Formats: sequence, C-alpha cells, structure tokens
Amino acid sequence: MRSETTINTNRIVPKTVPQLQTFVREANERGSALRIEGGNTLRGMGKPLSREGATLCTTALRAVHTYTFADLTVSVGAGITLRALRSLLAEHDQFVPLDAPRAQHATVGGTLAAGWLGPRRHLFGRPRDYVIGTHIVLADGTLAAAGGMVVKNVTGYDMSKLYVGSFGTLGILVSANFKTLPAPPCARVFIAKLPEETRLRATAAVARLEVTPSAALWIYGFKKSVDGEDGIDGRILLLLEGSSPLIERATRDVRSALGRAGVPETQVIDTGALQAYDRAVDACVATIGERSVTFRLSGTPQDSEARVRAVYVIARKHELAAESILDLMNGDLFARVSGKDARAFSQRIEGLDDALHDVFPKTMLVAGDSPIRSALNVWGEPAAAIAQMRALKAAFDPKGTLNPGRFVGGI
Amino acid sequence: MTLQQRLIEALGQDAVKTAPEDLAVYAFDAYSQAQPPSVVVLPSSTREVAATVKIANDCGEPIVPRGAGTGLCGGAVPAKGGVVISFARMNRMLNLDVPNKRARVQPGLINLELSQQIHSSGLFYAPDPSSQKVSTIGGNCATNAGGPHCLSYGTTVNHVLGLEIVDHEGEVFTTSLDEVGYDLTGALVGSEGTLGIICAADVRLMNLPESVRVWLASFADVEAASETVSAIIASGIVPTALEIMDDVIVAAVEAAYGAGYPTDAGAVLLVEHAGFHDDMDERERAIERIAHEHGALSWRAAKTQRECDALWAGRKGAAGATGRIAPNYYIQDVCVPRSKLPHALACVGQSARAHGLKVGNVFHAGDGNLHPLMMYDKRDSKQVAAVIGAGNEILQACIDLGGTISGEHGIGYEKRDTLSLVFSANDLATMAKVRGVFDPRGVLNPEKIFPAGVGCAEVRPAALQ
Repeated sequence: MRSETTINTNRIVPKTVPQLQTFVREANERGSALRIEGGNTLRGMGKPLSREGATLCTTALRAVHTYTFADLTVSVGAGITLRALRSLLAEHDQFVPLDAPRAQHATVGGTLAAGWLGPRRHLFGRPRDYVIGTHIVLADGTLAAAGGMVVKNVTGYDMSKLYVGSFGTLGILVSANFKTLPAPPCARVFIAKLPEETRLRATAAVARLEVTPSAALWIYGFKKSVDGEDGIDGRILLLLEGSSPLIERATRDVRSALGRAGVPETQVIDTGALQAYDRAVDACVATIGERSVTFRLSGTPQDSEARVRAVYVIARKHELAAESILDLMNGDLFARVSGKDARAFSQRIEGLDDALHDVFPKTMLVAGDSPIRSALNVWGEPAAAIAQMRALKAAFDPKGTLNPGRFVGGI
Repeated sequence: MTLQQRLIEALGQDAVKTAPEDLAVYAFDAYSQAQPPSVVVLPSSTREVAATVKIANDCGEPIVPRGAGTGLCGGAVPAKGGVVISFARMNRMLNLDVPNKRARVQPGLINLELSQQIHSSGLFYAPDPSSQKVSTIGGNCATNAGGPHCLSYGTTVNHVLGLEIVDHEGEVFTTSLDEVGYDLTGALVGSEGTLGIICAADVRLMNLPESVRVWLASFADVEAASETVSAIIASGIVPTALEIMDDVIVAAVEAAYGAGYPTDAGAVLLVEHAGFHDDMDERERAIERIAHEHGALSWRAAKTQRECDALWAGRKGAAGATGRIAPNYYIQDVCVPRSKLPHALACVGQSARAHGLKVGNVFHAGDGNLHPLMMYDKRDSKQVAAVIGAGNEILQACIDLGGTISGEHGIGYEKRDTLSLVFSANDLATMAKVRGVFDPRGVLNPEKIFPAGVGCAEVRPAALQ
C-alpha cells in the first residue's frame, strides 16, 4: 500500500497564467502527471493520483481582475481565497454563496473544481449557479474562455458547468467570473441543546418555519469545535439572514417552534453569527489526527433519520465512534468516524467502509488524513452516465496529465 | 423499407407524419423558414424516441428535436432535412414531490401549465419566458430559456436537477445533480438539441411567495428608465423583475390589449418584487425614491390581481403586438453588463436612426438583456439590408461594451456565424470537443450553434428570403 503521505517535493506555483500554461504543456508533452492544488483544504476528497506527478498549485493566481459592484459581477483569479473574496465583496455589501470549509485557505478555483456544496444552497442555489464565466488551461496548455461577464448568456455551450465539480480533470481553472448577490443586512444564529427525545419533533418544526432558515444543522459530537459545547448531547444550529424586521419575526417563530417541540432555551448569537456558522462548515472536514475519516451521505431530509441511525449502528458494530452533522434543509449527512488510536482505526475502518457502502452505495469520503484512506471507496458508486464522463475526459485530456485517477470512476 | 415505412412500423401510423401539408409547418419556428423535414414523428415515450433515432441513423437522416417551435433563431427547424421529433404528445407531469419541491416532467409539457398544475401545492416553476403559454419545458431546457423573473430566480439551468436523454445512437442515459461526476445536466441545458434529446426533466420548484407587489413608473425616455434600473441594482436591491418598454412598444401593447400602460411617456418601467410582508414597504419606498431621483414622470402600484395580470400580459405579449405597426420584425437578444444599459440603448437608437428604421425596445432591464425590435417590410430589399446593417452594428456595439450576443434565445442557425465575434478559435474548439463526444457524426440538430464550415445553407431567416 502506497503511503498517502509521500510528498513529491516537486511543487510548482506559477505566478502567471502563461507560466502555468507552459508547465502544463511541457508536462503533457513529457507524459508526466500533474496534481492540481488550490488551498489543499479538500485534500481528503478523491483518490491519490494513479501516476506520481508534480503538484501544480494555483494560489499565486489571486488577482482581482474586475469588480464592478454596480453590475453585481466580479472576476477573480482562481487562487484567491474564499475569505479574500468575501472581504472584497463585503465592502459593497455583496457576497457569493460559496460555503466551503476553511475559507481562509480554500481557493475559489479549488472550491469550484471540487464541486463543494454548502448548507445554504437550498435557499441561494449552488456555486455553479453563480459562475458566469471561466478561463481554463487545458491539458495541452491551451487557454480557453467560456461565458463572459453578463448574468444571462446562452452564447454557445455553458462550458463552465462542466468545469465546476470536475476536480481539475478536464482543465485547470485559472479565473472565474461570478454574479454576486446583495448581502442580507442581518444574520443571527440560534444554538439549542437537543436532547434525544426532542430531536425528531424539533427537526420537523424547523422544516415548517415560514421564514426559511439559511441553514439548519443538527450536530452530534464535534466537541468544542463548533460552538464550544462539550458535544455530549446533540445541538441544533440555525442561521437566519435577512432584514431586521424579518429576523425579529423569524426569531419569534423559531423560539415558539422549538419551545413547543420541548427544546430548552436557545442561545442567540448576533455578533459573530456568520463565524459561528462557518465553524460548523469547517467541522464537516475536520479530522482527528490520522484516526478519523468523514463520510458524506446525501439524501433527502425525509430519509435522513434512517441514514443517521444506520451510521451509528454500523459504527458501533465496528467498534468505532461516530459524530455527525446533519444538514436539515438539504438532507446531507456528514459522519465522522474515529478510533481510539490510529492503529485501531486503520484495522477497523475498511470493514465499516464496506458495510456503509452496502447500505448507501453513493457514500463519499470528504476528509481523512489516515494513509488507509486510499484503500477506501472514496467516491462511492459512479454516476449513471460515467461512460459519457470518461469519454469527455478522454477528449479533453487524452494523455491523462491532469489529476489522473483522482476522480470518480477512475477518471 | 423507406425511412417513413420503418417509422410507421415502429411507432404506428398515427405517430408519423409524411404528407407535404403536414410537414410544411415544421419548416417554421417563430422567426425562420427552412425546408420541410423528410418526416415528422410524434412519439409518446422515451422508448419511441430511442427507436426513432436508431431508424434515422440506419437511414442516414439527421434528427431535429422540437418543442412548440417558438424559437427565434431557427433552432428547431431542419437545416438538412431529416426527421423532426415533435414532443407534443409527451406533455405530462410524471411525478410531483411536494416536500422536496421537485417534479419529473415530459419535455412537451407547456411551461405555464406546469406552474398551474402545481399551484395548489403552494409551488411554482420560476423560469417564465414570454412564450410560456405555448413553449415547452424541453424547448426551455434546450435554449436555457430566461424570462423576466430570471433576474432573481435564475434561468432554466438553475432549475433543472436532472435529465433523461436519448443519445445520438438511440441509447438512453440519465444525468443528475445528485450524482458525483461532471455536470452533464448543466452542459446539456442550453445545448439546443445538439448533444442529446431531452425525454424527461427533473425540475426544481419554489414556494409561492408570501407577498407580491407590482409597480409601474414612466419616464421621458428609455435612457432615464435604464439609468433607474442600473441605480436600483447598484443600490443592492434585486427585485424579482425589472422590465422596460419604450413608447413604440407601449403604443402597440395598449392598442392590442389595453393593458393599462401610460401612452404619454417615452418609456415605462415595470417592477415586481416578491418576498415577505415584512420587507415590502421598505422596498417600495427605496425603489420609488430611486425612480424619482432619475426623473420618473409617474409612479403607481398595481392595486388588484387583475391589474397585475393585465400589466404582465401586456409585457409578455409585446412582440406580438407589433404586428399592427409593421409586417415583419427582427428581434435581437443582446446582453450587456447592467451599468452599460444606457450606452447600449443609445447605440440602438443611433443605429436605427442611421439606417432609417423604426425600432421598439422591450427588455429585461435588470439583467441587461435587451431586445431591440426592428420593424420593417421584408418585401422591400432596402429595408432588409437596413435591418441587417443595423443589427450587425448593435451586436458589435454590445460586444464592445462587454456583452454577448444571446442572453436567452440561443444561437440556433441564425446567429451561428456571430459566435466568433465573442469567442476565439481555441474557445470554440474546446466546445467542439464536447460535441465530438456526444454527437461525433453530426446527426443531432446539425448546422446549429457553431459557425458554418462548408455546409448547406438551407435555413434562411424569414427576413432574408
């Protein structure tokens, strides 16, 4: 078993797009592989490369190309961090809903390439819905543009849709154009302890709220990493965003709904609300040394209860601990499974992985620093149209230069 | 057996049209006239679509999928004859999942009918092209259709969660945003029938808003109205819709429908906002203030549902109303950054005047998506030449302002030679890779989207015959 932690010391950080193009073209001509990296925050996703290669890092491509706030559009280099983009847009009370973990390191390009989906997407839409144009470097070093700087565009194929979520296997995103949204004026977070007996009633009550929360997360475990609580009981975290009158109305409804469901007093966070929410997003990929991995099991809010129960049963059977973050609005379950020590963990996790995939074939791995990770079924069952996806890969990168073997179905 | 005979054997006589008088209508969409197809097929199922494609392949005939034929650039008419597949009989909602706000629909389901069928569940389907009383979900998907409410809700691609596709060989595959892998759903929406034939769509539905208000402002000219729109957006307000019509269009609309627009102004701005009760008064005050700051001559709020419906019906029927002004019109679909709207409109006015053409403006101002409507008589070759000249100037001017050639109508046949005004050879070659994967033999809606090589030029816009 090849060690995941072998570091290929050849790490390239191009300062300009033409430089990046040259590296890529030369690697392609040599028949070498390239591992594409942004902030490396989602390194826990995907398989290792099928061929050893140098790492090409896009973090130096972080210029702000254009920000016409009156147009609600922005164009940035793919290496800009999510936090830097957020700060830029916040100056004009705007944002793009790219909720991904570790925003201080995560790059725009990496977040888009990984296709990360955050909890606010049920309300605001997915990151792909905000990308209005891209520049990409293909495996042979060609630079290609798609879209533009307008918010409605049907001029040719919407290539940016293919690039988002392609895990760097069709090309390397070097810049992205977004449409922005006016930022909600106010944000408020509620955190309430959720004793086991109130959980189902409380989650049903949240689903019925008239003012839809931006995010509703049920958290079990993740001691101190989300809200400072010791994590023994579950907690519910609700993010509300909107105008001040709307937040007040929503607050009354939330207190009333949770109260009726038997939930004890809620904690309210105004200053630092979005930071509290960010901590929950970060927790989705937080690892415990080399003795944990985190799975993502998608589904509907209605079938989430069954998924949660199954994860805990399977974890118990394999003598591993489980913690979870359940996205109540979208149905995603993030389950972090851990062992007492790295050895015990690596002995048991493969069995758990098999058992989990028997019941939920599309389970994906999103975090884990253990070397055993590369032996696990990290992508789950491939999509129905995997053959068409492989054909696209072959057309875009016939020599398999870019992230070979990293993506689903061996792509 | 001939193509026609094989299709009749596979699908039954009733599903296959061969008589010239039946085929003739399929040579038209809302703008173009082409040669009729060899045969028209009206399948009732994905299986029948797949069988049709296989037979067409065997007989060496291309395939042209067609919804309602409301397209404006020759996307649904045959460029090289072949088999038109009409989805008129695949027009049902197959499944409605109210708790998860999604539905599975057949491609021939009419856009407005989808919203009507789900209304009692408290839901609606957001993309609302002006053609929505007639146009179909499949056609909307093929062109990534827009509409006034796309300003805040997004376009069709933001509301499609998955597709069932019959491919160039007559095999069926499905795509889904719920699955990991490339976003084939996003690539297929807007591909105008060139990458696969849509046989079912999983669509995202939205909750009906708690409160909806419609306001109407009038201005001395379109420039003032468009500056107001730019100012509204720049202030951080994104209403649900921001639509402008100039006096030429308003006159036609009022003569045709009596919708309630003031006819004594240079331009009108129709604003809609949907959301929570709590926000409405403040929003109304803010938008009204901006309108007055930019010279609004009048401002009123629609008081009744009937008034709202009439205003919207007038807006959506605008293009049709111009039939009383001139026998023909040519409508463009340029899209510019919102702050460039006033410049773009000035260019439109200049070009029209320079070429002696009457032009009306009706457009999705909030998105920067203009529809200059040039009125002319196609029997007069001088007017035809003027339309072509002005059209090209407007296109180039909008591109120079950072815009693009099509915001929502698509490229089809009519605009394909202008793609290279916006994209380089490398850009187009990259797109061609996708076509090469999904349609290597060029059988799916050939001669569409991409600039012509040496090819048949059998499709002419009605204007240019």
